[in-house]
Amino acid sequence: MQTVKMVVTGAVNAGKTEFIRSISDIEVVSTERRATDDTRMIKHETTVAMDFGRIAIADDLVLHLFGTPGQKRFDFMWEILSEGMLGLVILVDSTRPETFRETNRIIDFFVSFRETPFVIAANKQDRPNAWAPDELRLALRQPAHVKILPCVASDRASVKNILLELLYVIQENSEEA
Amino acid sequence: MALVGNLRDFGLSDFLYLVDRGYKTGGLHLAYQHEMALLFFEQGKLLLAVRRPEDVQAALLVRLGVLTAEELNRARSGLAMSADGTTLTQVIVEEQLVPRERLQRALQAFTEEAVYGLFAWPEGEFRFEQNQRPAHDTPVIPMPISVDHLIMEGVRRIDEWGRIKDRIPSTDMVAHFLEQPREHLKGVKLSTTEWRLLARINDRDTLAELAQKTGMSDFEVCRIVYGFLTTGLVEVQRKPRPTSRGSQPAEPPKVKKSLVNRIIHRIKDM
Ligand SMILES: Nc1nc2c(ncn2[C@@H]2O[C@H](COP(=O)(O)OP(=O)(O)OP(=O)(O)O)[C@@H](O)[C@H]2O)c(=O)[nH]1
Ligand SMILES: [Mg+2]
Repeated sequence: MQTVKMVVTGAVNAGKTEFIRSISDIEVVSTERRATDDTRMIKHETTVAMDFGRIAIADDLVLHLFGTPGQKRFDFMWEILSEGMLGLVILVDSTRPETFRETNRIIDFFVSFRETPFVIAANKQDRPNAWAPDELRLALRQPAHVKILPCVASDRASVKNILLELLYVIQENSEEA
Repeated sequence: MALVGNLRDFGLSDFLYLVDRGYKTGGLHLAYQHEMALLFFEQGKLLLAVRRPEDVQAALLVRLGVLTAEELNRARSGLAMSADGTTLTQVIVEEQLVPRERLQRALQAFTEEAVYGLFAWPEGEFRFEQNQRPAHDTPVIPMPISVDHLIMEGVRRIDEWGRIKDRIPSTDMVAHFLEQPREHLKGVKLSTTEWRLLARINDRDTLAELAQKTGMSDFEVCRIVYGFLTTGLVEVQRKPRPTSRGSQPAEPPKVKKSLVNRIIHRIKDM
């Protein structure tokens, strides 16, 4: 049995758990805790270690989806989770510009030193006042070749689309046979 | 739909960059404590900025000494008789009530002053109403101004690390020129010190090294480079991590196309 892995990251409350839940074949293994410290201002439950979901690709192949915890004090998990990943989805809460800097810090961490295939998902596009993908590109200063895609993490079709777009990026970097 | 947020998290210079590069049209409403500001943009250029609600009214031109009360009345009646969509500014220019350059200079100076003051706000709610346009009788700058030099001027007024740190986390980063700096960067006026630093940027020296070579402080170098970044002149990257063998960092093993294709097929079928 071969397993491959993708990582879903983003600032606190970006929608990582929701994203993995929408597509995983199994009940997502989350380690939600009642939020403490400043996170409590925004939500009641937050992921403290990671989310884990899976998609069976074939009898001999499984795709694992790992969601990173959003809070800063779990940054040490990032390195561990990202080892050997095929690619990375970076979720942004498009309605909360106060998270854009943190998002840039995350992009910087995951992307600056290695050639990780990644896409940015502009999440919560169903909410009023969501910044559009083009606006996020300017706000996050991402060059034209980086894919920034509209996303609604609670909508399975939308999550599917994000994963496919990421797979196309991975495909470009893959080798024949 | 509106773009909302706080300047604490998304600063005014970031916003100006967004408006400029996104060729945005609309009204940016700002509020901090008892203060307000309203900026109108057309296709990324600034039409007018005011710090008092009443300054969007035509009487502003009288207060600025551009028109007399009587001339303003003539302009108003001219506007009333004009086709829909005509603006007060157009009437004033067409009827030659004031030379266009004079109107330009007065409103541009007024607008720039209004914007500069905003860079001192430590925070403030913003709300950008896309496609909101000024009323027809609101005086607007005849030739809307590019926001690039406003960005640079705003950055010159930064006096603390906080804002700079998120874009330039350390002084061992290296500045690179962007491949295609934009045409209208020509509009940016740099000071001698800024030029001196710009001339030193060479894709090799870190910001700390640039500070050493120019005799500037780390803060000054970072602040100026932050300005270059914000106007889109340069980008900064970390200096590549030196590897033990002095060779390129090991490439991650490539995945097989066939494997990726299998995953793609499965997800398409879901
Ligand atoms: N309207 C809307 N709400 C969403 C969307 N995605 C997530 N949410 C909501 O946003 C909140 C945060 O989602 P989570 O999935 O818990 O976010 P997270 O990134 O896992 O958060 P942490 O684990 O705390 O970092 C929840 O209330 C979700 O229901 C979306 O696309 N649209
Ligand atoms: Mg979570």
